Amino acid sequence: MQKQAIIAGVGESDYFVRGRATQTEFQLCCTAIRNAAADAGIDIADIDGFVSYNDQRNDPLRLARALGIKNLRWSSQSWAGGGNNAAAAVQMADAAVSAGYAENVVAFRALAQGQFGRFGQARGSGRTMDGDMAWKAPYGLLSPAQECALHSARFMHDHGISQEALCDISMACYANAQRNPRATRYGKPLTREKYHASRWIVEPFHLYDCCPENDGASAVVVSRAERARDLRSKPARILAAAQGLGPMYGSSAFQPRWLGRMYYDNVGETLWERAGVGPDDVDVAQFYENFTGPVLISLCEMGFCKPDEVEAFVSNGALEGPDARFPFNTSGGNIGEAYIHGFELIVEATRQLRGESTCQVADAELSLVVSGPGYAPGSALLLAKD
Amino acid sequence: MARHLGDDWVLPTLDDWNRPWFTSGKIVAQACEDCGAFQQPPDEICGNCQGTNVVFRDCSGEGTVESVAVVHQAVHPWLADAVPYAVVVVSLDGAPGVSVIGNVLNREPNDVRIGQRVRATFEEFPYPDGEGADGETLRIPQWEAV
Ligand SMILES: [Zn+2]
Repeated sequence: MQKQAIIAGVGESDYFVRGRATQTEFQLCCTAIRNAAADAGIDIADIDGFVSYNDQRNDPLRLARALGIKNLRWSSQSWAGGGNNAAAAVQMADAAVSAGYAENVVAFRALAQGQFGRFGQARGSGRTMDGDMAWKAPYGLLSPAQECALHSARFMHDHGISQEALCDISMACYANAQRNPRATRYGKPLTREKYHASRWIVEPFHLYDCCPENDGASAVVVSRAERARDLRSKPARILAAAQGLGPMYGSSAFQPRWLGRMYYDNVGETLWERAGVGPDDVDVAQFYENFTGPVLISLCEMGFCKPDEVEAFVSNGALEGPDARFPFNTSGGNIGEAYIHGFELIVEATRQLRGESTCQVADAELSLVVSGPGYAPGSALLLAKD
Repeated sequence: MARHLGDDWVLPTLDDWNRPWFTSGKIVAQACEDCGAFQQPPDEICGNCQGTNVVFRDCSGEGTVESVAVVHQAVHPWLADAVPYAVVVVSLDGAPGVSVIGNVLNREPNDVRIGQRVRATFEEFPYPDGEGADGETLRIPQWEAV
């Protein structure tokens, strides 16, 4: 086992409400990458690899020209839906650096939906829809919220989970966002009354069960551990990362084998085995929450609790604040901070190990990111204090 | 027959793998002739034995609701008059391991429950001109609570 690579630097653009970005998507992307290199104290020209996921529009060759890269030694991208492979992007950067194919690989995500239209939005002026959509669209099944609602409804039915458990996830994200001036939901606290009074998007999801849409970019620089002593900022060691099996997205995911699941069992198994630690050892966790329901499922599949225990696990403020019983989505997460397809969670996980979070967990040494339940394959990343 | 989500709502683009489902007027599922396994959606190879002798078999036309989500926010302007509506996952009798997406036509959205037994019904609709299969008739499988 190598465990040689570190997150040497993190960078972000400003985060905006969808459509209100003051720069283009490509400019946001370059800003985040330049900030990450500067944070690491690495000359931007010495970046020699780029990794992203799921149809990233910002091409490594265009980035290389814009950023003055001297030698592009590595570029890759993973197959997946949504934000599931944010952690897998860091995994690929780790693989490239640990194997010596490149020295300073940037993993990143950038999106400006005002410029390019919305992800996950039903499109088409045509009368028919093809491929996998043909099995779903004629029946009115179109959006990620609706698909995650079908899985969540079954999971809640099977395990006697109430709406309050979904509310608890959203409440924790909003509570933690109130400590983070950079969060798009800063200064907009949520109450249980407000949650329950909000309109349904698709049952069992209220408005507050769904993350907002945002524009912005975030990035990390992955480098070899030996560099750590020259770095400007405190590095985070990449202890383990994992991708896992799941169904093809869409109609495959509703087969009896997969219904009510989020495909994290094998991600967790691989991650814990590779890291040599278990769920109980984690000090702080960032869980991708496009919608609240999948968080409950992935908490169970990653081994933090059993399905019949998950409502108790998340209730009574168990996820809120730096002293939470289970410190969770400390920046506010997708719901409270910003939805940069989950990559912003990796930045926050790193901040926790540096002691720089606005919701800092005391003596955090192991920091987990679970990237993206909803669409397979899943991925997860475990960082350790260097 | 009027369609559940409105006669203007989108239709499937027919291809070799979904034509039996959308035009036969029967509930069918893809099965492997070599090992007997069923799979959905259909594909060119059996995921159980990797055989390529895949065929469509008739099912009984009954099934069970495995999950339900009631849609309140229309994600397409053409669905503005259709909400709220319930999307269901139905497991097919006679095709172990196979579920499909559908709607339950004879129940209010919030009266559809997991475990509800359902029987197939079909929305007959002309395939639109200019979509590559002119003259075909769609018989879109839907469900009624029994
Ligand atoms: Zn077979």
